[in-house]
Formats: sequence, structure tokens, C-alpha cells
Amino acid sequence: MWLDAPAAPPAPRADAPRVALDQRNLTFVPHVLVVRVGTTVDFPNNDRVFHNVFSFRDGKRFDLGMYPVGTLRRVLFDQPGLSRIFCNIHPMMAAYVMTVDSPYFARTDESGAFTIAGVPAGAYTYHAWRPGARAELSGTWSSNDGPLQIVWP
Amino acid sequence: MKLLALIVCAACVAHVRPAGAQSITAEAAVTGGYSTDEATAAAVQARLFGDVHGVRFFGEVAWANRWLSDSDHETDSFNAAYPYSNQVQAIEAYGERLFRPRGQLLGLRGGRFRTPFGIYNGSDHAYSGFLRAPLVRYEEYAPVANTFLENGADLVVGTPRLTVETAIAAPGDVGEIVRRSGVDGVVRVQGYFGPFIAGASYMTAPLAEGSLAAEGRNHAAGIDIRWMHAGVQLRGEWISGRPFGEKKSTGWYADALIHRTMMGPVTAVVRVERLDFAERETGSEEYLSRQTAGVRINVAGGIALQLNVLHQSGDADYLPHAVDVAVTWSVRKPWKPGKPGEPGEP
Repeated sequence: MWLDAPAAPPAPRADAPRVALDQRNLTFVPHVLVVRVGTTVDFPNNDRVFHNVFSFRDGKRFDLGMYPVGTLRRVLFDQPGLSRIFCNIHPMMAAYVMTVDSPYFARTDESGAFTIAGVPAGAYTYHAWRPGARAELSGTWSSNDGPLQIVWP
Repeated sequence: MKLLALIVCAACVAHVRPAGAQSITAEAAVTGGYSTDEATAAAVQARLFGDVHGVRFFGEVAWANRWLSDSDHETDSFNAAYPYSNQVQAIEAYGERLFRPRGQLLGLRGGRFRTPFGIYNGSDHAYSGFLRAPLVRYEEYAPVANTFLENGADLVVGTPRLTVETAIAAPGDVGEIVRRSGVDGVVRVQGYFGPFIAGASYMTAPLAEGSLAAEGRNHAAGIDIRWMHAGVQLRGEWISGRPFGEKKSTGWYADALIHRTMMGPVTAVVRVERLDFAERETGSEEYLSRQTAGVRINVAGGIALQLNVLHQSGDADYLPHAVDVAVTWSVRKPWKPGKPGEPGEP
């Protein structure tokens, strides 16, 4: 979930917290990651087997090669869009990195709720996406409308 | 500035799973294959793995069978990491703890696991694009076979760049060739230097059943190396040992797994290999040499297609040419105890 913010500062702050997409128990954790354009994501290997993380479709394209437990590789997500992440050794490992060109974004919690802090009052175009969706949902929302509710069709 | 509370009512939501939380994943793979090497095959593998109270666990059972048009025909097709012996068998079942004290690595594993010798993980062979195990790891004359399993304990110490792995166990092999009862010892040293991963392994184990020798042990040694850059992975192993006693089996393979990002879901594989061995019955020294080219295509929906074309020479029991084709469908279901599962894969 994110809000368009064309007037926002162009890049993440240098002291922004590190973001990681973990490889643990033959699984990417979390399954869905949302980051801002310009964010470097860590890909640590916390399994005793090797992994070979790659993304080949749309979004950021990369192939990190193999690296053992206790080590990590990093990827700079420098363009907006959805990156589908796979492991070339374990075909059932898959995850998504949604890169958004906005500082106002969040991932839902297990109940479907989320909070975005620090959003200036005003009208926005919102976008929502979830795994399995053919396309993202978009619409307009104003801070005067109260909490935003979205129902997937 | 204003704090906004937004709510999304979604049919599916992504689950955050912090490190150390409980998680369990179930996975199944179904494979069907055909080889011009006069074999048709089917296999099912089921796995359960995850974290519970800080202990990682992994369990796998497999059933597989091959139907040969000529029952006397010799072939190792569809034997990359699982036995095709028409039995439901426990492959791995272990629990482990990993500790990272001050950047070091300490791992303890107990249960049933693959022999930690060389390039040994099931995923290094079963999913790589090759439908046959390397000859030097095929159970018939291999000094260390992919169907070797250990019932015991395993310890890893070191740093991410240099680890020493030691296992003490009893053989729990699956497949047609199994080792006699007794005690195994395995030591493996592995280093990680830039694009290189290199290892050396040693195993002392009981001889295989069917050995003519009444006593003795199989002392196997091996070296392995992997190199990876820009989607190209080169691997090689050399292994030597005496699985049946007096006569030595020595073999090697070198292969390439090519998956550049521009290749999309396609992985190309190439392997050259050779095994020198002695016939158990006659003691005559023989060899088998093989060259393989293949491809694996990850189609949508958990379906993967694999095609291997191979040429072999040496042992007259093996056909000079063969084409292996297989289709695998995999499905995965992750969940946290008491929570609904995650949505489907991309």
C-alpha cells in the first residue's frame, strides 16, 4: 500500500533502517517486502544450504550467485516496480519486492491493517497490491475522508 | 504533519515472520519421466520443515519407481538424489540449532541426514537440471553415493568463510546398495573465497553389503570446488574410495549450470565425467565416461520441465546415447501454528 507523493524528497535518508529479505528454512522472509526507490536490501543466507537469489522478469533484474550460511549480498532497488524474487536452486522459494517512488508506504499486518506515519494532510492517489492480484488497485483519497478502506474484488 | 491510520480489508495478506518465530512449511513434489534408456519413472517427495522453539527441523519422505522395458538393462536414469526402488522411505529427518557467537558459526544437528561429504545436499543434485546423479555419486560403484544417509550427529564450527563439519553416525542408506551396519565418521572442511567455494572431505565407513571382502572399511577422500559469477556456476568433484573392499573406485565430474538473468526461467546444464571402477564379480577394471547437456525450464504454476541428452562410453552395459525427459510439479504450503497460510507463489 502506498501513496503517490511527487513532491517528496527524492531518496531515502542515509540513516534509514536496514531492510533485509532473509533466506531461512528454504523460504524468503518476509514473503512480501515494500521499499522505497533507492533502498539497498540485504539478502542474508541463514540456511546451511546454498541459495542463488535472482530476479529476471520485471522490476530489478539481478543474480546474486551462491553464498553460504552467515553471509549476505546486497541489491540496490533503484527503479519503481514489482520484482519477483526466486532461488535458482530451490524452485519453491519465491518472494516479492515492491519498490515504490514514495516515502509513504506500508505493508499490511496479519489482520489487513497498516499505518503510515508522517503523511501531510491533503489529497492523494493511493495504490494497493497483493500477491496473486493481476493488477494493483488505485484510487484517490483525502485526509478529510478518514481511514481508507479497500476491498479487493 | 499528521498521523493517518489507514485500513485495508484484503482477502489475502502478507505475513511477517520475525527471526526465531515458529513456522512450518509443507512441500510436495511429483515427478514423471521417460528416458530412451528404456526407463519410465514416477516419484513423489513430501517435506516438512521449519522452526519450532528455536530448533530447526527438516523431514522428507519419498517414493519413486522405475519401469524398465528390459529388467536386465543397466541404467541410472532419474537417480539424481532419490532411490527409485518402489518403496516409501524416510530420506532425511533431523533437528538442528545454529548459533552465531560473535560472527562465528556453530551448528548442531541430530537425526537422519545426507552424508556430509563433498557437494552433498539433495538440492545440489535434485533441482539442478540434471536427471542423473554424477557417476561418482551413483550408488552402483560410487565411493560415496547420493543415497547414503547417516543416523547420528553432525557438528559444524568455524566462520562463514571457513567451516569444519564432523559427523559420527550409523549408516542408514536407501536404495539398492547399502552399507553394512557399523559406525561412520565424516570430516569436511569448506572455504569460501570470493566467487570460489572449495572443500575437502574424508569418510571412513563400513563396506557395502555384497562386498566380497569379509572385513575392512571404505576410506573415501574427495575434493570439490564451485565457482559462481554472473549466473554461471561451475562445479567439480573428485572422489576416490573402496566401497566394496579391495578394488578402488575413482571418479570425477565437472559441470556448468548457466542461468543468466536474460535467460528467464531457463537454466542450461552441461557435464563431463568419468568413473573408473572394478566389477564386483570378476574384479576386471572398467570405466564409464559420460557427457551430458540439458535444460531446466521453470514453467508457471510450480511446474518444471527437464531435458537431458547424454553420450556415454566405456561400460558396454550402458547405451551410447540417451535422452531423459521429466516434468515436476511442486506445491508448498507455509503456515504459522494457529495462523492461516500465505498466499500463492509468483
